[in-house]
Amino acid sequence: MELLRDKAKSLLKSGAVQVVIGYAAGSATDRFRPHFARSADEADRLVFGDGCRQNLAVYLLKPEVRAMGKAAVVGGPTTLRTLLQYAVENQVSDGSAVALALEDGRVEELTSFAAVEEYLAQRPHGLSEEDRAELEQHAGRSREDRWAYWSGELARCIRCYACRAACPLCYCEQCITENNQPQWVPVASDAFGNLEWNVVRAMHLAGRCVNCGSCAAACPQNIRIDLLNQVLAQEAMTQFGAEAGYSVRKEYALSVFKPDDKETFIR
Amino acid sequence: MAEYEPKIIAFVCNWCTYAGADLTGTSRIHYAPNVRVVRLPCTGRIDFMLILQAFGQGADGVIVSGCHPGDCHYTAGNFHARRRWMLFRRLLDFVGVDMRRVTFSWVSAAEGAKWAELVNSVVADVRKLGPYEEFPQRLGGPGQKPIEVA
Amino acid sequence: MPRIGVFICHCGENIGATVDCAAVAQAAGRLPGVVHAVDYKYMCSDPGQSLIKEAIREKRLTGVVVGACSPRMHEPTFRRACAEAGLNPFLCEMANLREHCSWVHEKGEVTTQKAIDLVRMLVEKVKRNRPLTPIRVPITKRALVLGGGIAGIQAALDIANAGHKVVLVERDPSIGGHMAQLSETFPTLDCSQCILTPRMVEVAQHPNITLYTYSELESLDGFIGNFRATIRKKARSVDESLCTGCGACIQKCAQKKIPSEFNAGLGRRTAIYVPFPQAVPNKPVIDRARCTYYKSGRCKLCEKACPTKAIRFDQEDELVTIDVGAVVVATGYDVKPTSFFPEYGYGEYKDVITGLQFERLASASGPTLGEIRRPSDNEVPKKIVFIACAGSRDPAKGIHYCSKICCMYTAKHAMLYSHKVHDGQAYVFYMDIRAGGKMYEEFVRRAVEEDHVRYVRGRVSRIYQKDGKLIVKGVDTLLNSRPVEVEADLVVLATAMTAQPDAEELAQKLKVSYDGDKFLNEAHPKLRPVEMNTAGIFVAGACQAPKDIPETVAQASGAASKVAGMFSRDELSREPVVAVVNRQPPPVWSTCVGCFLCETACAYQAIEREEIRGRDGSLIRTIAKVNESVCQGCGTCVALCRSKSIDLQGYTNEQVYAELLAL
Repeated sequence: MELLRDKAKSLLKSGAVQVVIGYAAGSATDRFRPHFARSADEADRLVFGDGCRQNLAVYLLKPEVRAMGKAAVVGGPTTLRTLLQYAVENQVSDGSAVALALEDGRVEELTSFAAVEEYLAQRPHGLSEEDRAELEQHAGRSREDRWAYWSGELARCIRCYACRAACPLCYCEQCITENNQPQWVPVASDAFGNLEWNVVRAMHLAGRCVNCGSCAAACPQNIRIDLLNQVLAQEAMTQFGAEAGYSVRKEYALSVFKPDDKETFIR
Repeated sequence: MAEYEPKIIAFVCNWCTYAGADLTGTSRIHYAPNVRVVRLPCTGRIDFMLILQAFGQGADGVIVSGCHPGDCHYTAGNFHARRRWMLFRRLLDFVGVDMRRVTFSWVSAAEGAKWAELVNSVVADVRKLGPYEEFPQRLGGPGQKPIEVA
Repeated sequence: MPRIGVFICHCGENIGATVDCAAVAQAAGRLPGVVHAVDYKYMCSDPGQSLIKEAIREKRLTGVVVGACSPRMHEPTFRRACAEAGLNPFLCEMANLREHCSWVHEKGEVTTQKAIDLVRMLVEKVKRNRPLTPIRVPITKRALVLGGGIAGIQAALDIANAGHKVVLVERDPSIGGHMAQLSETFPTLDCSQCILTPRMVEVAQHPNITLYTYSELESLDGFIGNFRATIRKKARSVDESLCTGCGACIQKCAQKKIPSEFNAGLGRRTAIYVPFPQAVPNKPVIDRARCTYYKSGRCKLCEKACPTKAIRFDQEDELVTIDVGAVVVATGYDVKPTSFFPEYGYGEYKDVITGLQFERLASASGPTLGEIRRPSDNEVPKKIVFIACAGSRDPAKGIHYCSKICCMYTAKHAMLYSHKVHDGQAYVFYMDIRAGGKMYEEFVRRAVEEDHVRYVRGRVSRIYQKDGKLIVKGVDTLLNSRPVEVEADLVVLATAMTAQPDAEELAQKLKVSYDGDKFLNEAHPKLRPVEMNTAGIFVAGACQAPKDIPETVAQASGAASKVAGMFSRDELSREPVVAVVNRQPPPVWSTCVGCFLCETACAYQAIEREEIRGRDGSLIRTIAKVNESVCQGCGTCVALCRSKSIDLQGYTNEQVYAELLAL
């Protein structure tokens, strides 16, 4: 913790960054909230703990944060992957943001995309064992069971779009849901609209999602919408070898192809 | 009650499958009248949302068809489409949508007979599966009038 | 409110016998927005079209749906009729009641119902059609031809003779390419230089052709009709305007033992040189890497010898920028060297040579003046072995394709050898003989029957040296795979034809696609064989795939006629079915967030970056912009765009959705 605060203070003091985006204590002991430290005093309130799961990279693109100046963002591998995906998607330029990578109480300052790439190259890729087992368990059930589960779960969706707000890669200024000519996704929270919204959200993140889990964490209905992202991330990996957020090279799974992409379902 | 007639919506590209279906016509090969074709320039243009929308609109089955790999009028639209379908299918299957109701196919401009066979087999399969009642319908139900434009 | 007119065609009995056209028209008349609905026997006839035109005028229609045959058949007809009546032609749509309905279904209510559905879909679509204007693009009527081999020469001459300006760029000091190196050409055995050099001279003298030799394309920007090419004129070290081509400098040059590229390494040249006597232009260049002066700072013998003081040791590369409307890529091929074949001695045996080297041996202008003499000791070989498919059709060597010309030139080589060495014996090891082409098979038969060339069907596994001979070990698969051994004096490998080593780099400069073997891709393998997928760029010759001279020339003329056709107009006009990125009033500007993931999805590189700047010039945001001259309208980017910021004119999201919701 002290290491983080010291690092933040020195970055702010030297003028290397104007704001450090980290976590501060929240309304309860196990709760944390995003904190924007712009001075040494504010940096002293930075904390880090197990409950700090929100992907803070999401704030990098907000006009209010951009207006503060150059930012350093605190986070783990998925935050770093977000940064690289932002680079791929032309949202953040090299050197315009600093990453403070946290691992086992240590802090590493990464000032370039190359440094982030190198850092991530040494960390494990892909879904964790538990995530994979969970997906398999879901996929292993009969179609009827899967439909029963998901239509039941999605029926509980209240379409508050907290998932969208939490997701660092849902940064469109006009979301497809706000499009009314045509009305792609019905406004009301009905069964069809809920299915459509959750499918479109997952598809729009396919090949881009960094599996930070912020969407599911933000869901007030505790729907495991992160599974929808994971299943697509896994498919993109097995089918195309595509993994988002490990490189600044533009190789979005859905805008490149191989003539011999394997497929078995097309008649 | 009259026998159930499956409602099939097809999204096809202009250059291969639409032309192939034209050839079915000029060859006078008969097939089931259940299909309604939406013509688009290329399979690359087929937004996955259209497929969902078709089901929301009461379709019991959907056909998506375009040029064979390598034959795309636009060089690579079908390759991009294929990747999109691969992921989309995986997702729909994961949430339990009945993938037997979505048929992807390559029908070239020369495959008039294949188009007829494709439609007939999809209609027969979907007839067996019965109406897709479990899929939620768009508010207002099928046949809902689109908003009038000025 | 929309005012839609619906016109149902009976197509005689074609639709009318199966579909109740009157009922369809009646049902269409009840659709919201439809103010006029009629059926008629033949809508495409003059009176039929008049019905449409009158209704447009009298009912002030804002959209027309014609329920008739396939739009692929008569859409242009009906759109023209609409335009003649003053309605924007893109406000007319067709419902396919014939090919997709009456011809494929039984007569009855179900079929009529389907026809009504089809009409309803298109009525909903047409309500959302917008008037569009064809896209006009001005054309710079000057063509750039890359490569001065026979393909480039042919293309340049054809375009120039059609009355258009041409810039021909060749990277070697002379035009002529591989064809200038050849001895005689199959199947007529006419001398290659005799038929080529007049063409080379014609190029040099043509008033419409600007020739840049010893030059390379540096970059190409722009799009069809409006390219801007930057060409690097490499320093020749000779002032071309002063040089008379007398050759005094060449005679005085201190470096005389440089392997001659033109003679495929079998002859020697000087450091200041013209590649061959008939070179165009016949003006030397200094090979700076080999020149004594550039290496040691002393010499300048050529400068002293030059009567016109044309030598320029301090000359620098020059960059020239030219605006062109079309590009013909004719950059040719390369051949695998003998060192590519470990089993045939890694290129270490002097008497194992390539087919191209044999061409030089057989050529009257070659190092042996046309006598077949082997490189090692200048002896006339009495036994000669030709090996076809050296590398080609050999997946183990990474070359899957057939080089196409080797069967023919090997037969020619064997024939030339037999004509020149009467007591010699030629052997050809081959896999198959591919002699498709006018008089080609007859030519090969002549080699076998009249010139007694011994064809052995089988592959050569190994060549090794023994007692001054090359032992060629192979099998004869037509004789129960019996091992065959030939003690040869000279071995000629028909080595695989490959793409130029820098083909990939060139393709990236031009933004055109290429295949796994680095050959450039045509736009369509059957129907657009001379166009490339980037509009305005055409391809000719062996840079696209291995091919022989007649095919190359045909393709070059094809490319040239495409260019001439394009230049016959002042503007290009195309259907406005193109993608468009939305623009909105400030402060939104556009819903595009500038992620540019669509960039790689576009096969035409039509997605450009547009910077939106405030009045003070500060950058507000960067958004995508579709170059409508380049976009072909496939809509892949449209389906990909998450925020739906790109739409496809003629097939907008709104239109397609409306069609769907009508069902």
